[in-house]
Amino acid sequence: MTASLNTALEQPAKPVSRVALAFARLKKIPAAYVAFWVVCLICLMAILSAAGVPLSPYAFDQATDDLLVAPSMKHPMGTDELGRDLFARVIYGSRLSIAIGFVTAGVAFLLGTTYGAISGYCGGKIDTLLMRGVDIAYSLPDLLVMILIGVLVGKGTFGILFALGLVSWMGTARLVRAQLLQLKEEEFVEAAKAAGQDGFTIVMKHLLPNAMGPIIVALTFTVPSAILSESTLSFIGLGLSAPECSWGTLASDGWRSLRAHPHLLGFPSLFIFLTVLSFNALGDGLRDVLDPRTRLFKG
Amino acid sequence: MLALILKRLLTAVPVLLVVATLTFFLMRMVPGGPFDADKNLPPAIVANLNAKYQLDKPVAEQYVIYLTRLAKGDLGISYKYVNRTVLDILSEAMPVSLQLGSAALLLAVIIGVPLGTLAAVKRGTWLDVAAMFLSTAGISVPGFVTGAFLIFIFGIWLKILPVALWESPAHMILPALTLAFSPAAYLARLTRASVLEILEKDWVRTARSKGLSHWSTVMKHTLRNALVPVVTVLGPLTAILITGSFVVEYLYAIPGMGRFFVTAVTNRDYDLIMGTTLIFAALLIVTNAIVDVAYQILDPRMKVEG
Amino acid sequence: MSQSRFLKAAATVVFTAATLISTTGCSSTVDGYEPDTFRINLQAEPPSLDWQTSTDSTSFDVVSNLMTGLTQYNNDMKCEPGCAEKWEVLDGGKHFVFHLRKNARWTDGKPVTAHDFEYAWKRLLNPATAASYAFFLYDIENAYEYNSGKIKDAELVGVKALDDWTFSVKLKRPAAYFLYLTAFCSTCPLRKDIIDKYGDRWTEPQNIVTNGPFKITLWKHEYKIELSANPHFFEGPPRLKKIKMFMIPEQATAFGLFENNQLDYIDNRSFPTADVERFRSSPLYRSLPLLRCSYIGFNVKKKPFDDKRVRQAFSMAIDRTLFPKILRRGERPAYTWIPPALDGYSEESKSEFDPQAARKLLAEAGYPEGKGFPLTKVLYPQREDAKLVVESVQEQIKKNLNVKLQLEVNEWKVYLDILHRDPPQMFRQTWGADYPDPETFMNVFTTRNGNNYTRWSNSEFDDLVDKASAEQNQKKRAAMYAKGDKLLCQDEVPIIPIYWATQNTMVKPWVKEIGFNAMDLQFFRKVYIEKPN
Repeated sequence: MTASLNTALEQPAKPVSRVALAFARLKKIPAAYVAFWVVCLICLMAILSAAGVPLSPYAFDQATDDLLVAPSMKHPMGTDELGRDLFARVIYGSRLSIAIGFVTAGVAFLLGTTYGAISGYCGGKIDTLLMRGVDIAYSLPDLLVMILIGVLVGKGTFGILFALGLVSWMGTARLVRAQLLQLKEEEFVEAAKAAGQDGFTIVMKHLLPNAMGPIIVALTFTVPSAILSESTLSFIGLGLSAPECSWGTLASDGWRSLRAHPHLLGFPSLFIFLTVLSFNALGDGLRDVLDPRTRLFKG
Repeated sequence: MLALILKRLLTAVPVLLVVATLTFFLMRMVPGGPFDADKNLPPAIVANLNAKYQLDKPVAEQYVIYLTRLAKGDLGISYKYVNRTVLDILSEAMPVSLQLGSAALLLAVIIGVPLGTLAAVKRGTWLDVAAMFLSTAGISVPGFVTGAFLIFIFGIWLKILPVALWESPAHMILPALTLAFSPAAYLARLTRASVLEILEKDWVRTARSKGLSHWSTVMKHTLRNALVPVVTVLGPLTAILITGSFVVEYLYAIPGMGRFFVTAVTNRDYDLIMGTTLIFAALLIVTNAIVDVAYQILDPRMKVEG
Repeated sequence: MSQSRFLKAAATVVFTAATLISTTGCSSTVDGYEPDTFRINLQAEPPSLDWQTSTDSTSFDVVSNLMTGLTQYNNDMKCEPGCAEKWEVLDGGKHFVFHLRKNARWTDGKPVTAHDFEYAWKRLLNPATAASYAFFLYDIENAYEYNSGKIKDAELVGVKALDDWTFSVKLKRPAAYFLYLTAFCSTCPLRKDIIDKYGDRWTEPQNIVTNGPFKITLWKHEYKIELSANPHFFEGPPRLKKIKMFMIPEQATAFGLFENNQLDYIDNRSFPTADVERFRSSPLYRSLPLLRCSYIGFNVKKKPFDDKRVRQAFSMAIDRTLFPKILRRGERPAYTWIPPALDGYSEESKSEFDPQAARKLLAEAGYPEGKGFPLTKVLYPQREDAKLVVESVQEQIKKNLNVKLQLEVNEWKVYLDILHRDPPQMFRQTWGADYPDPETFMNVFTTRNGNNYTRWSNSEFDDLVDKASAEQNQKKRAAMYAKGDKLLCQDEVPIIPIYWATQNTMVKPWVKEIGFNAMDLQFFRKVYIEKPN
């Protein structure tokens, strides 16, 4: 009946094999397993690209004879207004977009969860104070804050990650807080308290694991909205300076040509979609794998 | 419950004051001013403009002037739209956004929550997979693309709905759909995750194995608990939707207030920035207070202080 | 069952996408056409209909149809008689006397008199009005002094109503372009009694009184303005009964409405550039050169651009013919600052593309093959066309001079702020004519002009521009400007002109007599709608 009991029952003998076991369980969920490899592939691409491996040596080469050509053998995704190969640019653009995904999800997870957990577990005056803080942070005009960050912190990758991280955690904090307000009234928390466990242990061992479902959803949704927000940042001039590119800027540069040159919007959008889809499927799978209550097979 | 609401209203004043103060000084730290234009003006003219709008005084003094006026209920004037007050501008635009936002909110909830519940109950079936695809599209395709597609398909190609403008109820359909797509997707995924949590509780499993009729009564009781995360995101979501969306208003030429959250900042229209921010903050405080009240209806064990 | 339903849904999506791509062109039906009504897109809310405080083209597009000044433009950008039926130029170009027509009427039936002009011009100059375009009248005696608060008495300003029908203007010095200013919205007359009565609210449709071909009947903020024919207009009421001006910010949306016959006209601002290839061959498409030039500016006070050989090398290393291909709006490559349509344009002033000579000059300046060239930043605002231009410049400079440029984007107002305070080594800017005269272009790069972000100061150039603006002989004047242009583009090169903009529009076949002009001014007094068959 209680989570801790279940955990105890299914806990494998050797802790080393937990990762292996999780992986074995993941294998049994086909969607999540495929998603896992897709995510690995995308990350590998982004990391290699960021490390300077020229996966896309033509990302900045302008060919004045090949302006805006449709996808072909020579240019599998076509070219842009300056004759640059879109395939090369999409590959190159992955580095920033993937970094944004991880950083914002990371900040949302660490900062958002901690903040929300303190607020929800402590409750009362502390909760009120912390939540009014979230209200204030939420109310400040994003655009103004981001222009200012661009001016103070500077543009470029760091400025972008800083700005997006700064606005990504509030939603998660509110969700975690609500989950904890609800869960801390459950019987198993009383039991744990009676057994003399301290607040930290209770939150980490009993409360957060039971709130993982909504948290994972919130995180998988932070990723695409941050990837897309980055293109808004370049609209206010905080984003990347040309000729750098990301999936967000490629998509937002291309959308006006939707009817005449659909490839400019289509391919970057497809990559964002696939990445988010993989993260969603993987998130679902991970939740099942990590949550010991889940029985993967009926009967 | 009443006490909670009253207490919230009291704390609203200091919260709004903090928001006003932070916004005021942030806004003045940002480079560029309301009268910087493509064509640079002679210094004599800039001096005349600054004097007219009291921008020649020290910032701290301007802050005091602003707060004094605000205390009297005066939201100030627009620097961009000459001779229009912030109150004029917002009171004309707000009803439009309120209508569109409420419609979108309603759509998002009546699509998102049932879809999520269904996906959880029919977990692993094609319906669950389709729901995941749809909601992934909802969150990873930006609003301007969804909108452009809808306009093309229904407005230009099929010609069954208006392309844009704000004239009749029919004009509301495409913008409301565009606006609702992403929140509906989020609500669907969140509901699914939350319902799954409940479905996996042992006593629900037991009930489920005993037969469908028994199980449906259990569902009625547990779904309420499962709605806590959904209601949590509805708080800020409501405030965001009813204050309008820049993208949707821009795309469909709708005279709502969402545009001002962007244009007031890009125009450095100082009083209008303050006005939009304070209205949003006030709405957020109200909706989040309602959320906290709703918690106690959904799950009476939850304790929230005012 | 469920599987096939899913397949069907997928098929629909694919089919729709395919149609989306293949459907092109515009519908040829006439459903939706409205008799005697002209429906256009204004794109945005006009910030002000007070023609003295507004500064933007959106407001002027409305005001141009509501008001008539002393003179008015025709589509060749020449001044025709407006409220003034004739005028005399006395005292070697320093004194203008305008004789007003007696049948010019305000919308409330009162006659338009010289006193309305005197009041208006003094209000424009009054520091309390804080009008941005007050500097338009700075050529008038004591105008600058009054506007900047140096003198308090408005009576000293050189404008006077001699009687109801005679308006006298005295200038400090002759100004060859002065007449153009009398056709501009900012100098239109105003009614003292109306402004005194309604104060700040005088521009609301129920209060405003105007004297042009149309009057305003509805103003739904951020959405729509409606004008209707003014029966009192001195040329007789226009043939259009109504003009509906919508405020549709997104070009693609406006174009969708045009395709559905809900708009009759797509003007230059509403024109969807990204899709231009789809309808370049359409009979509805029109294209016309504009008096607007894009340029790359150097801050000549910053290294290494304090050396004019470096600036010359950069100018020669940029192939201007590429920009029209990239931007696709029919731009024309610019090799001079003065556009071909204006006096003073000369082939002699051209700065030609010559990468070989450019490399030689750069080597002479101490950077052979680009070696040791300092880090150079190029500032540009967040606009799609600006981005493409600087990206192309970056590539060409790298290819032709082996110099690496670093591009820096900024939000519009931050960009302007940087330009005003501390311009970087290079920046991308544009300039549009205020009046159809070379003076409006040349004046920009004089030492005293606030729009001269290059910090370039050349007394020979300043002298030429001063003398030319007072010169009454057109030939001599053109020669002076040509000389100045050569100084600007070939010898000193504080700027590299890149391209001249073009106006692209689409007009429904039932719209007749719509004119286009090089300053993209929108006036519709002659337009009418002919019933389609």
